[in-house]
Amino acid sequence: MDKPIRRVAIFGMLLFFGLMIQVNYVQGSEAESLRNDPNNARQYQNVFNSPRGQITAGGEVLASSSLTGKDNPKYGRTYKDGLAFSPVTGYFNGGASKVELAYNSLLGGTDKRITHQRWFDTFIGKKAEGANVELALDPDAQRRAYQLLKNGTTRRAGAAVIDIRTGAVKVLSSSSSFDPNLVAPQTGEKGVKVLEQLDGQRGVIQPLIDNGMSQTFPPGSSFKTVVAAMALDELGMTKTSTVNTGPLILPESGNPLPNSHDGGSCAGSAPLIGAFAESCNTTFGRIALDAGIQKLHDESSKFGFNRHWAIEPLVKPAESDVPLSYVDANGNKVTTGRDGTARSGIGQENVRATPLQMAMVAAAVANDGKIMQPYLVQKVTTKDQKTLYEANAKVFSEAMKSDTASQLREMMRAVVNEGTAKNLIGQNIAGKTGTAEQGAGLPNARWFVGFSPIENPRYAFAVVTEGSGDGASGAGPIAASIMAQVRRK
Amino acid sequence: MTMTSLGEQIRARIPYQRRNAASLALLAFAMILTLSAFAEVGLARDGTIPSGLFVYGGGLVILAVVAYVVQLKFASYADPLLLPLAVALNGLGLAMIYRLDLDTSRDRKVAEMAGKHFLKDAADVPSQLMWTFVGIGLFVAAILLMRDTNRPDAPLSFTPKKAQRYTYIIGLTAIVLLLLPIVPGIGASINGARVWIHIGPFSVQPGEFAKLFLVVFFAGYLVNKRQAMSLIGKKVGPMSLPRARDLGPILVIWFFSLGVLFMQKDLGTALLYFGLFVSMLYIATQRVSWVVIGLGLLAVGVFVATQLPFMGHVNQRIDIWQNPTPYYDGGCLLDSGKVVPVNPNTDLFKAAKAAGSSFPGQSACIKLGGEYSDSAQLMKGMFALGEGGVLGTGLGQGQPWQTPLSFSDFIFDSMGEELGLTGLMALLLIYALIVQRGMKTAVAARDPFLKLFAGGVSFVVALQVFVIVGGVTKLIPLTGLTTPFLSQGGSSLMANWILIAILVRMSHDARKPAPQSIQDEGMTQIVSTR
Repeated sequence: MDKPIRRVAIFGMLLFFGLMIQVNYVQGSEAESLRNDPNNARQYQNVFNSPRGQITAGGEVLASSSLTGKDNPKYGRTYKDGLAFSPVTGYFNGGASKVELAYNSLLGGTDKRITHQRWFDTFIGKKAEGANVELALDPDAQRRAYQLLKNGTTRRAGAAVIDIRTGAVKVLSSSSSFDPNLVAPQTGEKGVKVLEQLDGQRGVIQPLIDNGMSQTFPPGSSFKTVVAAMALDELGMTKTSTVNTGPLILPESGNPLPNSHDGGSCAGSAPLIGAFAESCNTTFGRIALDAGIQKLHDESSKFGFNRHWAIEPLVKPAESDVPLSYVDANGNKVTTGRDGTARSGIGQENVRATPLQMAMVAAAVANDGKIMQPYLVQKVTTKDQKTLYEANAKVFSEAMKSDTASQLREMMRAVVNEGTAKNLIGQNIAGKTGTAEQGAGLPNARWFVGFSPIENPRYAFAVVTEGSGDGASGAGPIAASIMAQVRRK
Repeated sequence: MTMTSLGEQIRARIPYQRRNAASLALLAFAMILTLSAFAEVGLARDGTIPSGLFVYGGGLVILAVVAYVVQLKFASYADPLLLPLAVALNGLGLAMIYRLDLDTSRDRKVAEMAGKHFLKDAADVPSQLMWTFVGIGLFVAAILLMRDTNRPDAPLSFTPKKAQRYTYIIGLTAIVLLLLPIVPGIGASINGARVWIHIGPFSVQPGEFAKLFLVVFFAGYLVNKRQAMSLIGKKVGPMSLPRARDLGPILVIWFFSLGVLFMQKDLGTALLYFGLFVSMLYIATQRVSWVVIGLGLLAVGVFVATQLPFMGHVNQRIDIWQNPTPYYDGGCLLDSGKVVPVNPNTDLFKAAKAAGSSFPGQSACIKLGGEYSDSAQLMKGMFALGEGGVLGTGLGQGQPWQTPLSFSDFIFDSMGEELGLTGLMALLLIYALIVQRGMKTAVAARDPFLKLFAGGVSFVVALQVFVIVGGVTKLIPLTGLTTPFLSQGGSSLMANWILIAILVRMSHDARKPAPQSIQDEGMTQIVSTR
């Protein structure tokens, strides 16, 4: 009987061996995929159990995690100057927005780029620590921009500044804004309610939607930069070409397209540079009519209009548009007609743009026609300073010829020196004003879009504020002040 | 007969020494393990040594010392490993239940404050300690009852060998125990398996005890019949087939196991009994043909079970095992073999709920004409294992209570979450060692009945651990069995402590020096019993 007992004993040991292999397989090699199984609720419950990485800018810590002293959430999140920086950092409360969303897995330490480098820690069960995200922002300029925008309007305002050589976003500011501290994990149920309330606001002021890149406004005359680029690039004009600045009767309705003033360059005829500097509407209405809406639409597309693109993973600016058609209140598709085309040429009708988009237009002018891909995050480093990601400059589009850009720079300088923005002389900025009407009873969208310094430009900017008056006074001084701060770096 | 058998070779190497010092040292280690586990739970959760350490850990220490003293006195040649291994398992299980109780009792308080109904199935460490007390008490009582005396007529003495005399009474008792749960009035169905009876305030699983009685019955029966069953038969190819009349017993057990399967919907227990009988039959007869016939019958049985309409239970367990994801929180197996999820996020579920069904998933599935099942428990157990990884989260630092039945059927997964792969390998090694020591006792035993008895008892532990642990780690389809010594539950603990007592007593017999022959001339003649 001993031999069969021994065989049964061996069989019993094989059963245990099988179990051991299975346990090794499950806990050794399947553990990762079990943890990330979509049905596994634990991965969502664990987000507050470990510290998230920091978000910094210019060496300043803007968002950091710290122990709450409670079981759930174990870690809270603190934002410095949240109102000023939330358009870029976003919020985190389990859900997230902006950079908190785009870099969620790196900040939370669950990204493969972290876990794979830390295979030994994973092996011994040490939780991966979140990586730190360094923004491209200039924190002082960002703060100044927020203060200026907040004081510059009682409604909405937005600003964007980008480094023309790299695409780094130096300022992306909004008023109104919200403080992400109010919805951070440590606020618990109260924060969830605050977030629901912010999210539910359906009026003009929507604090969760930043006015720097997530909201569009009619660009008004600042859009003439795009029309002028088309004229120089495609229609064989130069800045000295003589253009008709006299009255324009719109072909369909028979109504006139008015100029803001009928003296100076807008008296009847002028070189293009003069019409641009004094912002003669009739000239650019005619150019748009001559080219047609399709051509204008295509031209604007070179700058990034008419499409959705991501500035960071999962973060897409609002789409800026020069529409060929639109859907009216009754749900009918209406093609942009001749009158609409003329009005589109001066950045009205249904043309809409984000401040970031207009800054990209200015960047093309300042950077010899080339727009670099804008980005928010400069680099991502682990706790032990290993670099996991670094932004590299790449071309977003070639919007115009180098020579065209050079002529447009002259034209933008003329706006300040002898045109609509003479109040900005000596501020070392050049650009194009815009004063867009938003309809009866609504305040104007006041723009200043340009570059700085005047010679050898380094930065492109766009500022919009809502209020009465024009862009030169409503946005120009704000732009000048922000750029003075940006240039200090 | 001239060749020395394996048993003789092993017996020749056994030093016939008392190894009580080794046993005590190992027992001390098992204690340290248990007390450390309790301390870790407290340190991880509150940063202090928990008071439970002294109550529960201390209680276990006292019990184990008493058990050791009794073993030292009445079974001094016993295998030194068995008691410490069982104490280690019992202690770790108790620590895990303590740890789960801290969380579930907190949830219960919160639920009660909110006036909500709370599931009555929960980790309950005071009662588990009580059952540990009873279990070790039974160990002590069993050792006392089976004490080694030189007087065969000593009062209240019942050695394992004596059980052979009552083979058929014991067999009858086993059957009665197995049938009790289906008797209306005292039987009860918990978690879909009808394996419980109610005695006063207690729920007992008589199957746990029936297991032991069955081993004794099989051993006694097979010792008598093995000559006929192993020698007579036709030779066909390499196999010698048994006579048709010798097929009787295996067919009876087969029908019996199928009966258990159909009446109690308990695939695990059926598998356990049948596997046990086939292995003991093989040990008794040494004929591979019995194993082949056994496996064939098993395959037929499982096939029949999956084909019968009212046994959809078995079919689904197999399908869930192969493809659990669509069943998460409710899935519906259609006749075409397609699985339609009916979890609370599906439109089917919402429609059924809107129609006022209290079990929307099930009624949605009935409407589709399929069979409803839910893999959430198995999947949550697997997620717990995934959470644990190689080294585990540490006792008290994971969330094992998220798995339903984390303290009983799924306690192995709870261990896996907090102790990791490393801890599970250690636990499996402890089980493997118990089985190996038991098998060694069987080989070293001097009597064929005791050989079968010890071999059967050891194999039943291996099979049971395989069925339940294989189930909760998705190696095989999940069936409900208790995890010996770890699972919460009195019946299982009591039965397993008695099992260890039997092995301890038999190892004492096997390891003690053979009685000296009266005449001092020459070698004592040992007749091989193979």
